[in-house]
Amino acid sequence: MTRPDAKQVKAMTDVAGVPQDSDVSARIANSIGPAFDGFAPVSGTLPMDLEPASFLLVQRAKVLK
Amino acid sequence: MSDEPALMSLVAVAKAIAGKKFSSREVTQSCLDRIAQWQPRVNAFMAIEADAALAAADAADAALAKGELSGPLHGVPLAHKDMYYDAGKVVTCGSKIRRDFVATTTSTALQRLKDAGTVRLGSLQMVEFAYGPTGHNPHYGAVRNPWNVDHITGGSSSGSGSAVAARLTFAALGSDTGGSIRMPAHFCGVTGFKTTVGLISRAGAMPLSQSLDTVGPLAQSVEDCALLVGLMAGADPEDPTTSMLPVPNYMAATTGSLKGLKIGVPTTFYVDDLDSEVARVLDETIATLRGEGAEIVKVDLPDQRQLTAACQIVLATEAAAFHKRWMIERPQDYGAQVLMRLQNGLAIPAVTYLEAMRWRGPALAAYLAAVEGTDAVIAPVAPMPAVTIAESDVGNSLDAEAVIQRITKFTRPINYLGLPSLSIPTGFTKSGLPVGMQLIGRAFDEAGLVRIGAAFQRATDYHQRVPKLA
Repeated sequence: MTRPDAKQVKAMTDVAGVPQDSDVSARIANSIGPAFDGFAPVSGTLPMDLEPASFLLVQRAKVLK
Repeated sequence: MSDEPALMSLVAVAKAIAGKKFSSREVTQSCLDRIAQWQPRVNAFMAIEADAALAAADAADAALAKGELSGPLHGVPLAHKDMYYDAGKVVTCGSKIRRDFVATTTSTALQRLKDAGTVRLGSLQMVEFAYGPTGHNPHYGAVRNPWNVDHITGGSSSGSGSAVAARLTFAALGSDTGGSIRMPAHFCGVTGFKTTVGLISRAGAMPLSQSLDTVGPLAQSVEDCALLVGLMAGADPEDPTTSMLPVPNYMAATTGSLKGLKIGVPTTFYVDDLDSEVARVLDETIATLRGEGAEIVKVDLPDQRQLTAACQIVLATEAAAFHKRWMIERPQDYGAQVLMRLQNGLAIPAVTYLEAMRWRGPALAAYLAAVEGTDAVIAPVAPMPAVTIAESDVGNSLDAEAVIQRITKFTRPINYLGLPSLSIPTGFTKSGLPVGMQLIGRAFDEAGLVRIGAAFQRATDYHQRVPKLA
């Protein structure tokens, strides 16, 4: 996973229905980029049999026992 | 007992009213007197409803005279973050967009406190739509720290932190999505309780991120927070995400000792790049906990930077979805920084968002494995004490997100994991600014944190110190 650049951000905001100009898109790319970098080691590594609801199973496992 | 009722703790004043040592009117008037003195200095209140509060206090006194006690907080005046819907009241959410929004329902958390007998003093300031960690607000002005009004309160529960610290209300609801209870508690020197996601209903509370939002109190003491959490926690048909687990007696945990407990200290991340005074206070806090009988052990946590990143992805995406309509129709009515942060969420692909949601279970499992055998982990709430309002007024500048990330560095991982975290006052800087630490527990083990926090507060007096009006 790589962080989106300003051009890609502009395209995404267009598709999202809240279009932004080039300056704002550049600013968004700068702001959100570190989150993409930080999550990169995880992205694309998760097994298929994993649902978001697994969080609740882990959260409540010890309490329910 | 103090001759100024507003200086009492929540638990003490509730007992004093029930025992007719003070009337609700006397207590409410004491709070209103302090509000009149402090509000021009700290801007903690959004609305002050003096006449209505005194009328409600009189009604509480009349009921008590007839032997009717409505609940454990009978006649106790409180004010809360202005994002909890209260039917018939304006709830601004700290925004221009909702300046005239009148709620048609009452939030479950607020209703449960009303059922316990509380009196409404008014509503408290907050960061616009609860989306910011400093306490700035371009529509209603920055809230100021009572310990030094040139410094931030932290956010987004800025008014809650400031008002409790200045003893304008005995307690206040906050909300914590990325640190919004713990940071004002840390910066303002009060106790704040971010509860396990799913413990307290979010029905009727303004949403920011449905996966991360949590309701919790700020108050003088751990005991006060324990009482409030016990009153608010538990299943709610209006919020199906609320846990069905029975609610423990948190007040029973306020008397336990630390003997036999293990408290973990992270070896990395939470101890890196600390301001020297925060580092000193952390060492002193650990020494106090050890002195009270706790065993201190080192814990090697999984990479917390990945949790911070995942939290940002989830928060930004969900916040943008909640606000999309207004981002299209009324972008000019947002403050620059909040609009900037909402726009960030437009640039996250759905697949990335869902990966961040899917990883939450394994990430929590890895964290719990790392802290296995400990009863809690202690860590700073933020790497620094309260910075000045001027130096953190970054608006939507290019480095704004970096500033925000540094302040929220130690709180966001806990939101992503959905764990409870109790922020307690643990010391002061040489210049007199408070420093707090967070006790991070296992899911739904709020009682364990209450036990540790209450024991610490029996051994120290940081939570009892009150700022002086300059």
